[in-house]
Amino acid sequence: MALINMVQSLNKTLEELMGKDERVIVLGEDVGRDGGVFRVTDNLLNKYGDERVIDTPLNELAIVGMAAGMAMYGLKPIAEVQFQDYIFPAFDQIVNNIAKMRYRTGGRFNVPLILRTPYGGGVRGGLYHSQSGESYFVHTAGLTVVTPSNPFDARGLLVSAYKKNDPVIFLEPKRLYRSIKAEVPDDMFEVDIGKAAKLKEGDDLSIITYGSMVPTVMTTVEKNNVNAEVIDLRTLLPMDVDAIVQAAKKTGRVIVVHEAPRTLGVGAEISALIAERAIDSLLAPILRVTGYDIPFPYTHEELYLPGEKRIMSAVNRVLAY
Amino acid sequence: MAIAGNLSNEQAIQAYKNAVIARTLDIKIISAQRQGIIGFHVPAQGQEMIQIAIAMMADNDDLIFAYYRDLALYIQRGVPLSLIFDQMLGNSNDLQKGRQMPDHFSFKEFNFSSVQSPVGSHLPLTVGAAYARRYTKKKGIVITTFGDGATSTSDFHAALHMASVFNLPVLFICENNGWAISVPTSKQTKAEIYKKGTAYGIPGKRVDGNDLIASLAGLQEAFDYVRAGKGPYLVEALTYRMGPHSTSDDPKKYRVDEITDGSENDPIRRLENLMLKMGVIDSSFIQSTKASAKEEVDKMLEERMSIPPPESSSIFDDVYEEPSWIQEEERRDSDGSD
Repeated sequence: MALINMVQSLNKTLEELMGKDERVIVLGEDVGRDGGVFRVTDNLLNKYGDERVIDTPLNELAIVGMAAGMAMYGLKPIAEVQFQDYIFPAFDQIVNNIAKMRYRTGGRFNVPLILRTPYGGGVRGGLYHSQSGESYFVHTAGLTVVTPSNPFDARGLLVSAYKKNDPVIFLEPKRLYRSIKAEVPDDMFEVDIGKAAKLKEGDDLSIITYGSMVPTVMTTVEKNNVNAEVIDLRTLLPMDVDAIVQAAKKTGRVIVVHEAPRTLGVGAEISALIAERAIDSLLAPILRVTGYDIPFPYTHEELYLPGEKRIMSAVNRVLAY
Repeated sequence: MAIAGNLSNEQAIQAYKNAVIARTLDIKIISAQRQGIIGFHVPAQGQEMIQIAIAMMADNDDLIFAYYRDLALYIQRGVPLSLIFDQMLGNSNDLQKGRQMPDHFSFKEFNFSSVQSPVGSHLPLTVGAAYARRYTKKKGIVITTFGDGATSTSDFHAALHMASVFNLPVLFICENNGWAISVPTSKQTKAEIYKKGTAYGIPGKRVDGNDLIASLAGLQEAFDYVRAGKGPYLVEALTYRMGPHSTSDDPKKYRVDEITDGSENDPIRRLENLMLKMGVIDSSFIQSTKASAKEEVDKMLEERMSIPPPESSSIFDDVYEEPSWIQEEERRDSDGSD
């Protein structure tokens, strides 16, 4: 057991995965000597050499496409795209090659890669270091999309992603990289993909959230003594539909909180799942507290991010309904 | 006896036979498409010889990332007609379970990768495949084919760049047939295609892709270079698209000022003429080769047509290794009708 932050947890896990499996290759921009701009891959180059820890040229489509080719032919690449905002040149590779390879070859090829990328705001990164683009990936069958909200889940989800024989988009909430520490077991363990975590029991309403918003939600409900149950999805594709429906049935009042824009965000899917499966249990409209449908602003970054005020406003509306 | 260089008479005859089969198959598929038996086709007529030359030069261990207009490449490498028709028909014997449009082949057992529609997007994959082969100390190089249109894509440039930086054994072969659907090569690029590797430190060579002997000779240098571990190489094979881009295309709209018969460029006729002149074959051999190709192709289509389509519920398989609750639920909710 060690008290570590998310960067340390990911780094330790990567190091161990590389140690136990020589098929694991880490590649991306600045992942070698620099250890990644957030240091998640720190020291891997020293330990495993430049054949396994590759400082690539600056081209996301090539990094991701190359990783896909590696995965098709026997390796287990863990590629990093430095910021999720920079993933779009590789989008065609992700959507048209990586997500569809198993399907289009009748299961004769698969692409067991992990694509790690930091996402979300809160680091004063402006338009292009702050986006939360999870919906782009969640909309694509063939991908698995996970996002940890703490150092423990980061390790467990990375191990689970490693064990999968299919591509995993591993979204790392960069705001939480160093802001929270947790006790993380030294032994490898898995956090099941597709399983949400109930972080807090409660009776009056259910708040469903994930990734970067989890600490914000927890702090808000604790500080304001809200009798809410809080669910951390952890996996966005496939979502834990049972946990979502149970929450709706239990309290009849649901709020979804995420940092990504509202329109066609993960909250829309959660709302639809509940409407389809538990509408009779609802005592209030499902409310979404989300980032705004605007590009991510620089000066007024904190206005964009859902915070205590917006969450409490939704809580009060739902409880008063 | 040798036709030229290392090419024996037997090899030339085999190449000729396979080219005739590929041509016959192509013609048959077009007619089957018009009858509604096959949904779509990307004709490869006019490009047979460069494809045959590639397959002749390639070892069994070499991985090939082909594109959608490579029929003769598959035939020369030994893929049976039955499997080709199964894919074209999307029947239950199709290795890809009817998931892809015709001509989007994947023959893993023959070390072919998987063909996609987005032009050029297989090229970055070749870099990773070559890296994996080298890392795991497997034999063989990676060969990839693509059209002239692909050389405008980001994927092409990214792949050349990365293959060169990592000094990987990738042989890039552009089958320049003069057209990207309706856009001629002159509008596709100002620079010559075989020189496009220069900026990435990759040597290039232009070969006459309509001539088997010239193709083999040109490819030899490229294969030697890549096999020697010197890094990637770019070949531009000049060839000729005798037909439309696809069965959904009407080239009369944009090829009005050209005589598109293409006979002087027809690579099969060229080899035929050479072998006739050298006395390797005679006209009765040509006739019997064409007749037996037709018989074989006709018979095979007839046979494969009777194979039923895949189970309808199989459309939910292979999205993942294990379906998630989403596919399972959708499978359950679908009743197999549309």
